[in-house]
Amino acid sequence: MVYICGAIPPSDPSRKDPGMNYPVWYLPEIGGGTLIALISIIHVFISHFAVGGGLYLVCAERKGLRENDGAIIDFTRRHAKFFMLMTVVMGGITGVGIWFIIALVNPAATSILIHNFVFGWATEWVFFVVEIVAIFVYYYCFGSMDTRTHQIVGWIYFIAAWLSLFVINGIVGFMLTPGVWLADGDFWSGFFNPSFWPSLLFRTFVSLMLAGVYAFLTTAYLTDQRLKSVMTRFSAKWVLSSFLAAIPCGYWYLSTLPNQARSLAEGASPTVRIAMQYGLYTAVLMIAGTLILLLVKPAWHSRPVSFLVLASAFLFLGSFEWTREASRRPYVINEFIYSNSIVKMDLERINRQGFLKSARWVSQRSTTEGNLLAAGRDIFMNQCYPCHTVGGINNDIAARTSFMDYPSLLNYIANIHEIRYFMPPFAGNETERKALAAYIMKGIHGKSVQFTEETPEAVEEKGKTLFETHCVLCHSEQLVKEKTASWDRKKIRWSLDNLNRLNSSMPDYTGTAEEKEQVADYIFSLQGGAR
Amino acid sequence: MNTLIPAPDAIPVSWGYFKFLLMLTFPLHLILMNSMLGSAAIALYACLKGDETSKRLAYELAKVIPFLIAFAVNLGVAALLFLQVLYGHFFYTSSIVMGAYWIAVIPLVLVAYYSAYLFDFKFSSLGKGAVALVSLSLFIFLGIAFLFSNNITFMLDPEAWNVYFAKPAGTSLNLGDPVLLPRYLHFIVGGIAVGGLFVALVGKMKRKMASDVRAAAENIGMKVFTFFTGVQVASGFWFLLSLPQDVIRLFTGGDALATLIFIAGFLLALVVLAAGISRKVYAIAVLVVPLVYIMSFMRDSVRSGYLKPHFSPESLQVLPQYSPMFLFFFVLVAGIAPVVWMLRKALGSLPQAEEER
Repeated sequence: MVYICGAIPPSDPSRKDPGMNYPVWYLPEIGGGTLIALISIIHVFISHFAVGGGLYLVCAERKGLRENDGAIIDFTRRHAKFFMLMTVVMGGITGVGIWFIIALVNPAATSILIHNFVFGWATEWVFFVVEIVAIFVYYYCFGSMDTRTHQIVGWIYFIAAWLSLFVINGIVGFMLTPGVWLADGDFWSGFFNPSFWPSLLFRTFVSLMLAGVYAFLTTAYLTDQRLKSVMTRFSAKWVLSSFLAAIPCGYWYLSTLPNQARSLAEGASPTVRIAMQYGLYTAVLMIAGTLILLLVKPAWHSRPVSFLVLASAFLFLGSFEWTREASRRPYVINEFIYSNSIVKMDLERINRQGFLKSARWVSQRSTTEGNLLAAGRDIFMNQCYPCHTVGGINNDIAARTSFMDYPSLLNYIANIHEIRYFMPPFAGNETERKALAAYIMKGIHGKSVQFTEETPEAVEEKGKTLFETHCVLCHSEQLVKEKTASWDRKKIRWSLDNLNRLNSSMPDYTGTAEEKEQVADYIFSLQGGAR
Repeated sequence: MNTLIPAPDAIPVSWGYFKFLLMLTFPLHLILMNSMLGSAAIALYACLKGDETSKRLAYELAKVIPFLIAFAVNLGVAALLFLQVLYGHFFYTSSIVMGAYWIAVIPLVLVAYYSAYLFDFKFSSLGKGAVALVSLSLFIFLGIAFLFSNNITFMLDPEAWNVYFAKPAGTSLNLGDPVLLPRYLHFIVGGIAVGGLFVALVGKMKRKMASDVRAAAENIGMKVFTFFTGVQVASGFWFLLSLPQDVIRLFTGGDALATLIFIAGFLLALVVLAAGISRKVYAIAVLVVPLVYIMSFMRDSVRSGYLKPHFSPESLQVLPQYSPMFLFFFVLVAGIAPVVWMLRKALGSLPQAEEER
């Protein structure tokens, strides 16, 4: 049996932890994931700049020296000040901020990352030291140091910053594609994981692109029109060439993802699809804007333009990072630990002994008739809240379950992972599942938790519920109505057994025969057909 | 046995390496943090005093504070990393219990950091705004220190974690702990004392500064150092006596090494205090570094004493893999070379820049 840091197999007698170790920092209206996203997105947008921007400084300085152009050198010095204030302060502190927030929101996974990769982090810290010293020397000795030494300092900065990226890239990529690590638990297997090289190359080009994008900001504030034109063209070349180079790397990156992750990234989840679209639109917008600036009229460059380019680059990178994060679902570390901190190999044991008995930080130790809602709330906080807010903007559980009733929710929870791969399976026993459904229905919606009589109306209602649960995720009611307009009831029923044959991207429907009848009735009724 | 304490994860090399790295980096973080705190406090005092020499002293300190913040944060990252490896299961939990306050550290540092840069870059045009900016940085530093004291005392006391169930949004502080206040005070007072020493050193070593500013820096720095070190000895005893009986006993013969460290620390503190009164700046600087290390070892003994009923790092399971550690040591040594080279080149070119101004 292979032992992995943070995951002693359940069969090992030395294992003391019950499964769920940490308390949940519960901010129902905001959601911990929202906070992680907020801090991380700011950080990646600056930290990539911190890499590429270093090379930009060196190249801009060299351009000024070669062309013997004092104005360019002066611009480089001022840009270096902006660069320092942005990367050392905002970049550095938000980097620490990511540590803080992931440990608060997802301590179990953070602990695994820290314990597995402690010397990776420590090595990265050395590069961090070199970076800080280098950028300080570069900025504060600008003009007073001989130019050759000064440029070497710039190079040292860039190399150290890129090596930081090298290390972090290995650990971030590990979470999406842990690869052989899952079998051997080896540091190097996890670090040089399947997506390591394409991701490194992609991020390198993105960082060079951002160097140009940020330079648009400083060039926009130049008053010397000649200098402004020269540096705008110079910066636009950076953006354009690295953007074009990043595209094939992005495709290579996508091709290294495991099938499930790739289908998520390619749009199997509607939220991911929306994010991908945003990324594409903003990228097109940016490339168009840059082309105009570069080829047609550098003189059109202005502050609003620079903010537009900056904003579209932000959305571009944001949608990439968001998609990458989302592609990992339902895991934090793919195939190892779920988004809700349940280690995959523990699942069976938790189902056997009950979730509440497997968690330290719950107020209820078991479910009884009297504590159904309190126990349900405990389970909700641990298993659902990691991705769902209650009444918040992000993945609101109330909105997601508003069309369900108690029996349909109960059934849905039992098959949640099969119906929607990107959601983790429910962990716990039968009564705990009831407690969770009861909490969502009664505690959140204030609805009844009784099973309703099966009147003909209720049966039709059930077909509608099943339809809404399983079908509208990917296509609207209107679309289904149009597609099946010429079908009879028999063909609709037949198709429910053969969804994957109809369309290879459509998963087969796993419901019972009775449920299929009900869904078929409902779809047939959409065209005005009677049952 | 407290059932709320999470199970720790396994570590890749023997726990001793992590303890060594933690005890190596944490005191360096302390020294930088102290210098940052004391410099901000003395800069505020100099701004308020308002005479020409004081203003120039404030400006000299304004130029230094951003560097101190940068390296205090940087070394804090290293110490926090090794702390998490050994004590993460305590630290993560206590952080969550006070989560709403804990995450506030990040925006607070950002504000203090940018204020410090404004205080530096805009010093000549700030006027009365200078007092506001440096006060903002200083009070944020004091506030962050208070949050850290809360988290560290929380971390050592799993019995206090039950407050979570009433406030799962992480809005609890450890205010009920009698150790909190003396502990916080001990760190703040000591911080300002070391900060005073740092300011005196700036006066001694920055030869390009005007002689009256240098004298003022040394004078006020030494006064602050001596006064606050005196208070520090007293606050240290208050802190010690506020600790639980089992922990105090470690230093009164219960644990030979802890007792020895305590005696050595106390004697060295007295020597340093005497050197402060006779204003031997370099001698103090040489002695304060080992003193901060000794005090950090005492602090570590306190931690071990608190956690003894629940946990000790020796019990961590090791799933050995040494190669990443060797890589780290190699990169560390290799990384020192360019840092030294750059600093030497910088020192060689900086004085010229000062003359030009």
